[in-house]
Amino acid sequence: MTTEDTTTETVAEESSNDPTNDDMLIQTDVSESVSASGTESTRTIVESRNVNVWYDDDQALQDISMEIPENQVTAMIGPSGCGKSTFLRCINRMNDLIDAARVEGELYLGGKNVYDADVDPVALRRRVGMVFQKPNPFPKSIRENVLYGLKVQGIEVDEDEIVEQSLRRAALWDEVKDRLDESGLELSGGQQQRLCIARAIAPDPEVLLMDEPASALDPIATSQIEDLIDDLAEQYTVVIVTHNMQQAARISDKTAVFLTGGELVEFDDTQKIFENPESDRVEDYITGKFG
Amino acid sequence: MATDTRTTVSEGFGEVSRTVGTAFRYLLLAATLVGILAVGVLFVYVGNDAIQPLTADPGWHLTFFLTLVVPTLAVGGVLRARADGSFRVGLESLGLLAVMPLFAGGVATLFLSVLPALVTFSYAVALGLVVATVVALMRSRRVGFGAKLLVVGVATVVSLLFVPGIIQSLPFVPVEWLLVALTLGTPVAAIAGAYATSSWNDRRTGRIAGAAALGGVVAAGLLGSLIGFGGTAATILAAVAGVPVALYAATALDRHPARRDGLLLPLTVVGGMLLGAFLVRTVGFAGPAAWLDWAFLTGPNSITAEDAGIYPALVGSILLMLIVALLSFPVGIGAAVYLEEYAPDSRLAQLIEVNIANLAGVPSVVYGLLGLGLLARMLDEGLPILPAAIADPLGLEPVRVGANLFGIGTVFVGGMTLSLLILPIVIISSQEAIRSVPPSQRQASYGMGATRWQTIRNVVLPKAFPGILTGTILALGRAIGETAPLLVIGAPNQFGLPQELSSRVGAMPLQIYAWATTSGTPEFYAKVIPAGVVVLLVAMLAMNSVAIVLRNRFQS
Ligand SMILES: Nc1ncnc2c1ncn2[C@@H]1O[C@H](COP(=O)(O)OP(=O)(O)OP(=O)(O)O)[C@@H](O)[C@H]1O
Ligand SMILES: [Mg+2]
Repeated sequence: MTTEDTTTETVAEESSNDPTNDDMLIQTDVSESVSASGTESTRTIVESRNVNVWYDDDQALQDISMEIPENQVTAMIGPSGCGKSTFLRCINRMNDLIDAARVEGELYLGGKNVYDADVDPVALRRRVGMVFQKPNPFPKSIRENVLYGLKVQGIEVDEDEIVEQSLRRAALWDEVKDRLDESGLELSGGQQQRLCIARAIAPDPEVLLMDEPASALDPIATSQIEDLIDDLAEQYTVVIVTHNMQQAARISDKTAVFLTGGELVEFDDTQKIFENPESDRVEDYITGKFG
Repeated sequence: MATDTRTTVSEGFGEVSRTVGTAFRYLLLAATLVGILAVGVLFVYVGNDAIQPLTADPGWHLTFFLTLVVPTLAVGGVLRARADGSFRVGLESLGLLAVMPLFAGGVATLFLSVLPALVTFSYAVALGLVVATVVALMRSRRVGFGAKLLVVGVATVVSLLFVPGIIQSLPFVPVEWLLVALTLGTPVAAIAGAYATSSWNDRRTGRIAGAAALGGVVAAGLLGSLIGFGGTAATILAAVAGVPVALYAATALDRHPARRDGLLLPLTVVGGMLLGAFLVRTVGFAGPAAWLDWAFLTGPNSITAEDAGIYPALVGSILLMLIVALLSFPVGIGAAVYLEEYAPDSRLAQLIEVNIANLAGVPSVVYGLLGLGLLARMLDEGLPILPAAIADPLGLEPVRVGANLFGIGTVFVGGMTLSLLILPIVIISSQEAIRSVPPSQRQASYGMGATRWQTIRNVVLPKAFPGILTGTILALGRAIGETAPLLVIGAPNQFGLPQELSSRVGAMPLQIYAWATTSGTPEFYAKVIPAGVVVLLVAMLAMNSVAIVLRNRFQS
């Protein structure tokens, strides 16, 4: 892995949908890291090094460096506006779509810097799925919503099976199984959120970025989504943003605490963060003294 | 007592003054009414001159009042009071019944007066083969895009070069109405099938609907030629008006049984009209001496008011609209998609956008000059594929194509000029529609790993399409009324029926202008011109109604 400090700018132009680009992000070098507590050893799948993000002249992220372990759940917590969503968007280069955004630094996925010039952001996003903060189903049928990723990625599967399986895992199947041909926009807010989760997991991404996936869900649906995340973590890597401390404590293996101004204050095992954080500011934030 | 209560209430909440708001509201109402009243008065005036309803017997009015107006109002009132959506179904089917025959009439003029049935059929078959190739290729995933493009390109050229010739030289060809039935019925059946598939969610129903549509069209043609109505006319009426009405009725009957009673409204109207016509004929009441009659619609122009007809101008307008639609829609929508989705947000792009906005405001007579100078004069000898400046030094013959198309006042030049005129409007309204697609949906698509092209195709265009179509159809409505550019490119005032793209063409507004200037006798002013204006307005409103229906359909 290169250690020289090269900064790459986002490349707004996207190259065409060439199937060979799928193999662009080869796992060249996977760094082995030992988590801070030293109890378990996992491979790092996403590693950011000195990532800075600006929106025009306002800096939204400052020098973020962290290593996200493979097949685990990493939670990001922090007050509103501290840059959690921005960081998620760095991982799958969704920031490319925002004209004002400028990303500097290096972000490795499986050892390959995704901001290298030869990386096709479309191919990248096929490996890194995303659930957005605001539910954004397409004005298409529920079925078509779930199958969208498979369709654009040209994956051929048994459609009925995938639809049912994805909706079941997203805890939505029972509510919509009789109206798969109705528009996804006719669902309630919480149902839309789960539909977006089903849509994101249908094409089997390696890394799943979830931006407050349970913000509009009742306790039962929330716990079903948490079960799903638990499940997913056996095969996939999940990065989840949440404002719910208990949720972060329940489901995540690692927790990153961002604080206002876009700095990453602490990143460690979840247990350590919640029981014995290094920083007083983190302790204040978690215990609710500071937001 | 009452004042006491009031003071206690106002002590509780206080009062908010709404005087300014109320005044503002009535000012706005007045502004709205001024416009609507002005247009309404114009319509009544012109309609009165063209139809002359007061010349009819009072008995005629009474008969129709009793058979048509009263039952319609009664049925409509009942349906409306039920408030279960059946009134809406009734209005929609009535509208369909009123507008689709107009479109059938437009299509019929083309088939009866301009396009020879066999030639049209042979080209339709050639195009059908190309479409079939495209569909077959789209299914297969193994062939690469480049190869597909090559195959389609070759198929297009080969098919268009050879197939029409082969078909036209066949020793036996079907009768004219059967050719028209196949040419028109096949695409109509395909669309009907696709519509039925999507609204019943069932392929089998779709196939049945398609087959029924084609069968119905052919049967109508046969019937029409047997009873002497004219096989071709019956075919076209069935394909353009019959199939959509039947599909709509079937959807209402089967898909929304609760609203099926709405279909009583059109039945009442049609039944009332037939009954009324029967009664006035048996009793012998005279109808209005309308100037706008069948003879006016289908007759050639004349210098005497009695014989003046609008048919050549009507056909000219239809031809022009066809060319304008074919040219300006793809170019305008393409430009809009490029500007919104691909063009970098640079100074140049901004400059282009500002200029398009300015072009939309350029007076139409200037476009006429452009058409005259560039198209009719410069390209009079055809498009220089190999200009003389290059050909001569090489010792070759210069190559030019389309020499007969360009020229003073031809259909083709007229259509191109009007296309240029509405192109900026088409671009701007399409851009507007594309811009209104929420960014969150684009993000959702990109986030799923879609390319830009996939996002545009699957997310942006489907969502923007109704808006794009509405804007472009309204732009077309502007083109149909334009007079100045056609005058400038030298479209003639007195003309025969345009037969091909290289014929000289007139149009309805031009014809009306000619009537008003050169043959401006009181007869013309009082009768012929109002009748022409009504035809023009009805044609324009029919086109706009499509836009209105589309907007209502897709906005909900
Ligand atoms: N598209 C954008 N354009 C300009 N500034 C932006 C944009 N998106 C985010 N920002 C700014 O970047 C900062 C971080 O925003 P971000 O959305 O990442 O916060 P967040 O941690 O996800 O907050 P929340 O918990 O409320 O979702 C904020 O100050 C915000 O104003
Ligand atoms: Mg956020």
